[in-house]
Amino acid sequence: MAATTETVRRVKVKPNYEMIAWKWMRYSAFALIPLVWIHAILQDVVVGVHAMDLGYVAERWASIFWRVFDALLLGFAFAHGVNGLRQVLNDFIHGERGRKILNWGLFIFWLVVFLIGAIALIGGVNQQFPLE
Amino acid sequence: MSTLKTTLTGYAGYRGREGHWSFLLHRITGLGVVLFLTIHIIDIAFVYFRPALFLEALALYQTTLFGIGEIALIFCVFFHGVNGLRIAYFDMFKPGMWSIEMQRKSTRTTLIISIILWLPAAFWMVRNILLHNYGIVLFGG
Repeated sequence: MAATTETVRRVKVKPNYEMIAWKWMRYSAFALIPLVWIHAILQDVVVGVHAMDLGYVAERWASIFWRVFDALLLGFAFAHGVNGLRQVLNDFIHGERGRKILNWGLFIFWLVVFLIGAIALIGGVNQQFPLE
Repeated sequence: MSTLKTTLTGYAGYRGREGHWSFLLHRITGLGVVLFLTIHIIDIAFVYFRPALFLEALALYQTTLFGIGEIALIFCVFFHGVNGLRIAYFDMFKPGMWSIEMQRKSTRTTLIISIILWLPAAFWMVRNILLHNYGIVLFGG
């Protein structure tokens, strides 16, 4: 058998929109491992939903650390999730027109829900203190 | 409509064993989490927009049915994360190891790690539901 030679060729490809989205899926994934796991374990297991009320949220958001933590969660998690949803729907929608509608629809959906969350996070707990 | 059918039968009928199952589980867990996340952003926003509605949502989360959902959610979050790390690891550090055998082995390991992470959390959540919804003291009243 003739000896085979191997050639490694490196090609620089100008990143397009989908490639940037793919890269950010991965960056956000790495950020989300500690963010989501800490959040879910702390709220759902350590504290538990039975121990929560408005006072609990007020106490948590009184700390700038947890507000920044929640802002990072909102920013990374929801974008990662909606882009993942887009990837799944791309399996079902193939036409150029359909994809355009899908992309814009999901972008608007993401923006609206993100803004609702962001306004609430900045606004804080909307009730007279001390809480009942 | 035909693309819907072709894609769905492909999802169901493809016989890739562990690789296929992990693909499906990654999608299902991801979709589950993003569905909850959307609801969760809105219910937390009630804290600012309508505090009374937040308390109603909280009462719903404290029910047994939603409690079971939350236990499933924790599994989704763990599996999706561990499986994502597995994919990123092979992609970035060991691209030469993308063999079928290695994929099958690593997929099984992923599932075991996820379950090990999930079990103590699930136990404690079951304990909380029994304690607060039924007054049953399972562990440490």
